[in-house]
Amino acid sequence: MNVPALATAGAEERRALRFLADLSQSLALSLDLRETLNLAVTRIADFMHAEAASLFLLDAETGVIDCRICVGPVDIRGLKLALGQGVVGRCVKENTTQVVLDARSDERVNSRVDAETGFQTRSILCAPLSTAQGAIGALEVINRRDGGLFEADDAEILRLIAAPAALAIGNAQLARGLIEQQRIKRELDLARTIQKSLLPKRRRGDFPVIGVNLPAHEISGDFYDFFDLDDGRIGFVVGDISGKGLDAAFLMVRAASLLRWCGKAGMAPAAWLDEVNVEMCQTLRNGRFVCAVVGYYDPATHSVDLASAGFPPALLHDGTHFEEFLADGPPLGILAEVKYSQRRIELGQRALYLFSDGATDVRDAQQHTLGSDGLRQLIASHANLAPEARLRALIGDLKRMRLVDDTTLMLVQVPRGKSVQSLLSLEFPAHAEQMRGMRAALRTALDAQDVNPTLRDQLVLAVDEACTNIIRHAYCDGESGKIALHLSRERDMLTFELCDEAPAVDPNRLKARDLNECKPGGLGVAFIDSLMDDWKLEPCAGGKGNVLRMRKYIGNGDDE
Amino acid sequence: MSETGNACVSETQGNYVLVRLSGEVDLSWSQQVRRAILDALDNTGKVGVELSQVSYIDSSGIAALVEGFQSARGKGQQFGLVGASAPVMSVLQLARLDKVFPLFATVEAARAG
Repeated sequence: MNVPALATAGAEERRALRFLADLSQSLALSLDLRETLNLAVTRIADFMHAEAASLFLLDAETGVIDCRICVGPVDIRGLKLALGQGVVGRCVKENTTQVVLDARSDERVNSRVDAETGFQTRSILCAPLSTAQGAIGALEVINRRDGGLFEADDAEILRLIAAPAALAIGNAQLARGLIEQQRIKRELDLARTIQKSLLPKRRRGDFPVIGVNLPAHEISGDFYDFFDLDDGRIGFVVGDISGKGLDAAFLMVRAASLLRWCGKAGMAPAAWLDEVNVEMCQTLRNGRFVCAVVGYYDPATHSVDLASAGFPPALLHDGTHFEEFLADGPPLGILAEVKYSQRRIELGQRALYLFSDGATDVRDAQQHTLGSDGLRQLIASHANLAPEARLRALIGDLKRMRLVDDTTLMLVQVPRGKSVQSLLSLEFPAHAEQMRGMRAALRTALDAQDVNPTLRDQLVLAVDEACTNIIRHAYCDGESGKIALHLSRERDMLTFELCDEAPAVDPNRLKARDLNECKPGGLGVAFIDSLMDDWKLEPCAGGKGNVLRMRKYIGNGDDE
Repeated sequence: MSETGNACVSETQGNYVLVRLSGEVDLSWSQQVRRAILDALDNTGKVGVELSQVSYIDSSGIAALVEGFQSARGKGQQFGLVGASAPVMSVLQLARLDKVFPLFATVEAARAG
């Protein structure tokens, strides 16, 4: 409709404009939208000279249209309509004003209410509450009080009146939605904080067990844990709750505490899983289950005892090859009678990787999953890094792809690097006169390690013999050069490393002579052979020089 | 005696020559020890090497002793070790020579033996 300028407008139009202005203002200023709307609907009924007026709102989630406010002889509040049902349903669905001039002959009209209440509907106007997101409800007026029928102009007026109501209701809904979102976000943040606080703190220095948890969403169904036992072993757990969301997160808290409790009691891994499984079977509902791998790392033997309940295969990597250890039984919480088995893994210098299936389920840009082979490639590509740096690099790789599930990685590896102490570094000319000083320095270094004197003297002799051999045989007549001695200790293993600059020596030429023969020469290698645990002679990289590495274990009361 | 404490002194006691070693016998002067022992065997039929003041001996020192022993045996001479210190004994044991050399606790015992 063309709204005429106020000055030239007729009395009826001026009345309409004034009403619209008042209505808009009261809605805009409203502190209690429900109360304001109640009054507004009454005033709309009066203004439109209607017998009844009602306001319907659409529940966007359920698609149900619900009568919220109603004035008139019949209270239809609570009346529910489907989208597209009746005049109101159609109005909301199509987001268009509906005009029913003669209700009795109009197929859109739902006659049920009239039949139930005795009210007689003659004429209907219904305007949608339109917002940018579409219709969020409708404003309906029924029957002119003077008995006449609504006209097309009336429909236009109702459409104008509906606009500020839609705006006010829409804004209120948006605001409520935002507040609700913020509340949920605050609660999820809190849940996330609490979950994170359940994960063990990273240990400083060289700790053989490290883990990382990457939740796909705010909260995680994955977890890991590790703890010290009194006997020096370190217990560890990685778990993955089936399903996602809040209930998985709550279950995670329960599973994590149960697993920790049994692990701290020092139970063997198989019994540990048996115990938690029975408890889980009694309490888990709705087909939920828990995949978990548990174990102990023993620093005395560098070995791991491991048992897995439906967890993805553990991977053992020596830098070149992978060995895979499949699960020892089904996930926890399914079959109470299951007895799990366990296995021992001699770790040595190898790295044991435990990962939830989220790690292999990450997707690349083409939506391809990484898979077990892809994960192995990533691990191999970082094999040269120290354990912590390696785990960080792996996580970085996974983060660059798309996580579709919670992802947890744990790495069990004997700490390297700082655990190797350098005890002595000497460089001296390859002359016999230098041996005495070398021996003195070596004795001092070994004394500082509390190596018992007998063993100390034997080790000094072996190193002396090795130097002597270099002087006499490696540096042939006329040649001279340097010898570098480096002594290091890793736990109870001493490594003596001698580097020279002489032409490469064929290691096969060096053979210990039979000590049962009595002859003057060739004793040196025999001494080294019997005094050291093992030794190895290799040419230096680059062709010039040789490296002799001799090792001696000095644990268990110094071997004497 | 040098500043290193290494010394090799031959004493003639009648028909017996005692080579007194002290200090650390290693490659730097084991040739000198070898020469002294072989010289002593050239001069007399009965030689002892006194080792109570030897704090260290390596395979080149042991080789000098073995060479003296073998040379003496070849010519029907007598060769023995006297008062071997603990460090010397442990290297002899390591080389399984402790049962090969005639070992004497004192010079008197060696001369009598």
